Amino acid sequence: MKEPLRITLLRHAVLLAFVAISLYPVLNVVSISLRPGDRLRSTDLAIIPADWTLDSYAKLFTEQPFLRWLRNSLVVSAVVTLTGVALASTAGYAFSRFRFIGRKATMLAILTTQMFPATMLLLPLYVLIARLGLIDTWAGLMVFYTATALPFCVWQMKVFYDTIPASLEEAARIDGCSRAQAFWHVVLPLATPGLVITALFSFMTAWSEYIVAAQVMQDENMFTLPLGIKGFQASLSSQWGLYAAASILVSVPVVAVFLAFSKYLVNGLTVGSVKE
Amino acid sequence: MRYRPPPPLVDILRAVLVMAGLAAGCGRVDQGVTVTIWHQSRPNEREFLAAEIARYEADHPGIHVKPLYKETEELRSGFQAAALANAGPELVYGPSDVLDTFHTMGIIGNLEPWFPAADQAEFVEGAVTTLPSRDGSGRRDVVQIGDRFGNHLALVYNRRRVPTPPRSTDELVRLAVAATTDDDGDGRTDRYGLVWNYTEPFFAIPFVTGFGGWVFREPEGTPPVPNLDTPAMAGALSFIRDLRDVHKVAPANCDYELADSLFKTGRAAMIVNGDWSWSDYLENPAIDAAVAVLPTVDATGLPMRPMVAPKGYSLNANARGAAAEAAIGFVRHMTSEPVQRRLVQRLRMLPARASVQDDPVFADDATLAASRAQLENGRLMPVATELRAVWDGMRPAYQAVLGGTLEPAAAAVRMQRDAEGFIASMHKRIEPSPLVPVLATAVGLGLLGLLAWQVPSFMAFLRDLRRNPTAYAFALPAVAVIFAVIVFPFVWNLVLSLSDMSLVRFRDWRVVGLQNYAEVLSDPRLWGLSGVFLKTIVWTVVNVALHVALGVMLAVAINGPVRGKSIYRLLLIIPWAVPAYITALTWRGMFDYEYGAVNLMLGKWLGLPAVNWLGEPLRAFEACIIANVWLGFPFMMVIALGGLQGIPQELYEAARIDRASRWQQFWHITLPLLKPVLLPAATLGAIWTFNNLNVVWLVSNGGEPQDATHILVSYVYKSVFNLYRYGYGAALSTVMFLILLAFSLLFLQRTRATESVYR
Repeated sequence: MKEPLRITLLRHAVLLAFVAISLYPVLNVVSISLRPGDRLRSTDLAIIPADWTLDSYAKLFTEQPFLRWLRNSLVVSAVVTLTGVALASTAGYAFSRFRFIGRKATMLAILTTQMFPATMLLLPLYVLIARLGLIDTWAGLMVFYTATALPFCVWQMKVFYDTIPASLEEAARIDGCSRAQAFWHVVLPLATPGLVITALFSFMTAWSEYIVAAQVMQDENMFTLPLGIKGFQASLSSQWGLYAAASILVSVPVVAVFLAFSKYLVNGLTVGSVKE
Repeated sequence: MRYRPPPPLVDILRAVLVMAGLAAGCGRVDQGVTVTIWHQSRPNEREFLAAEIARYEADHPGIHVKPLYKETEELRSGFQAAALANAGPELVYGPSDVLDTFHTMGIIGNLEPWFPAADQAEFVEGAVTTLPSRDGSGRRDVVQIGDRFGNHLALVYNRRRVPTPPRSTDELVRLAVAATTDDDGDGRTDRYGLVWNYTEPFFAIPFVTGFGGWVFREPEGTPPVPNLDTPAMAGALSFIRDLRDVHKVAPANCDYELADSLFKTGRAAMIVNGDWSWSDYLENPAIDAAVAVLPTVDATGLPMRPMVAPKGYSLNANARGAAAEAAIGFVRHMTSEPVQRRLVQRLRMLPARASVQDDPVFADDATLAASRAQLENGRLMPVATELRAVWDGMRPAYQAVLGGTLEPAAAAVRMQRDAEGFIASMHKRIEPSPLVPVLATAVGLGLLGLLAWQVPSFMAFLRDLRRNPTAYAFALPAVAVIFAVIVFPFVWNLVLSLSDMSLVRFRDWRVVGLQNYAEVLSDPRLWGLSGVFLKTIVWTVVNVALHVALGVMLAVAINGPVRGKSIYRLLLIIPWAVPAYITALTWRGMFDYEYGAVNLMLGKWLGLPAVNWLGEPLRAFEACIIANVWLGFPFMMVIALGGLQGIPQELYEAARIDRASRWQQFWHITLPLLKPVLLPAATLGAIWTFNNLNVVWLVSNGGEPQDATHILVSYVYKSVFNLYRYGYGAALSTVMFLILLAFSLLFLQRTRATESVYR
């Protein structure tokens, strides 16, 4: 497909402008991570300070248990991502394809769980976590993160299934597939963009959360990355260099995950193969 | 049709549940006694603490001491929650300013049995904090054993700019004026004479004391009465304003981080900052820093006296038995003479034990000597919880004076009024309404009625369950997980919203009726024309509209025949990938009046005058919105990209055959077919944005300036965590919940989002 040149130029102009807007604040974070002496602010626009140093990065690996936090975070996020995708892909299918009693009410109820300000839920949540003996357990954190990510994921999967014509499944059923087979072999692959979004969202939920983690994890060996990073912040004496360096490193796995997933997000799919 | 193998993601689904099950079974077994300490030690102090813990553990086999660093606010709210759950650490370590709160709530114990008067006498005055016993017996409880003093402000000067420190304020002004220079002659000041965090009232205290004032009326009663509407306050505020506006020795806008960075880079000759910051300055090779006592105010002849506070250990009221004994043992260790000597020698901190005060190191170390001189010249920080109300009362008026919208004398009046108002609401006692039994009966009957009404649907549900097991089997696991986590906190909050839980009734709260709701609904600050509610609506609508618009625009731009697609895609999700807790702070820096990138670029490229982003209420609110739009558009872009894949290309081909323009194609094909996919994201996006505390809090530094950038959620946060009004906060949260519920119902009804587009 060929486009007029001015449209192509317009696309590039818009994209380049937003790439600049996206990157600039992050380059500032990079700049903070390169400054010696924990200076959060700078008085000029230089991204690489004259007295730049990689000390902060080195310290993360030599003086701080950064790798342990990384491992903890990876485990938690991986489990949450997989559980989130598993549960959301099935529940979303049920809400999209089946008509059952309580369907609408449940869908709405799922939304309502997001409506209470999270800060107000902390106190009772802590009481709950403590009573159930979930302090310092991975399970407590994982269940909570999955529950946080699921409402969005279930809805998102539901609408993605909605866009897949039911005739595809019917065709598969006529060819002898069971309902479960049709779901697994026909619907799920077609819903890949939805799965990718669900996976990304679940991953990000678990990857960047620290308020609940601070309640559950009381043992420094079990800290996740955000918890460890927040430890660099102290009132009026934050270690900004470490804070910024760690924040930059924290985003690397996110970018990697996105890179790995994004080909499923954009590769042409087969929806068009049905003529209705 | 063409089959594609499912992505590897899908293959692992089943294994996950097994893994999660295994993880749940992991438990840890601890032998011996474990003492947990939650502390707010600064980074360099943590090594010292760790070394002393190792020493103590070596001397006491079987005792394990586990330190856990918690940031100030986190420690406070975390410890309250933990105490409420009958859990938490044995010891909390930190400055004395939270002790009254903890003591009033009944969550820290009396240390007197372990530290009788004879033991207390071995400490310097003020190191052991006592408070009147809650039983009204007139005795005093020992609530904290201090191991050091600190938190006091002093003057730090760069000897390359100021050879000898000023002794008086006249001298201070003269030196500062001389050190304020425009080195390159471009009309902009390059180096300032004096900087400090002048957004925070704590840093104004030395000026207030220098002019003869104090935060509370003296002698301090119970509860203490604020003493802010004084000539001293007005004098101090004028002096501070003149430093900036008349003498022009300070930047137009200066918060903690800017002051700190300016001084560290040699762009400020003097800084007023606390003992926690000094070692950083002294070790910094770019400057030649030294510490001096704050000067004397010439107008009054009084010295500028900073607040000082002991730091020390308090015992959790829940601590019992061997763990409590071991915890006390550790406190004794930390306050013993050898450890106190090491504290002075290694950390250069001011010890609490009287016998260590003559340590030879005081004579050798000029900084330590200056620190002690300033400490002796300081005033003990009140421990009363009401101090928090004083800070909250001072902050808006102080910022208004510096924002140029309020005169010092009027500001003093407003501070007094606001602080008294906060104290009144902090101490508000709500009597149970006589209607509580009626209310309870009504709720009970209502629930019964609801049950009875639902019986037929329930029966239908049971029949449906048998007829439609697959549907339920698919939906149930996710639904169960979601509700398992939320039901208890949700119900707890509903009950709390009917209660009088507050500072004075923290553990013994009662259900009192609907008074909290009455107060929420009649609050003009919330519902007025310039109130928090309308601001929240603007915040939500503008943010979500821009998130969706930009997200769709970028997705459409990427989704065409464009080179470098994958690079663009990757770079554009960066704002989502980097943690918001740091980028929000970066945005705050970018909005700085004088040095921020936004103003510098506006000036350089567009020739626009500098905007006082963080100093003017409306501009600060706009700054928060800009930062949040930046944070949120990549998410919508990703969703829109996913949604675009589901749009059959044939539709566009057909449209082209019909000679539809690009715009028509977008408007009649892309948008309608993208809508269902974007709906849940937009709905939830609105809900999240409505409840997004972080960005407002970080960019505007907790509602600054003048508490004018609050949205509902930050308002709740402030009233709950600063004024301990749990019942009120819960009621307001419930109202917020209902607002969102109504909005979502309406929105989903109109968009028919629960139905499929193809039906």
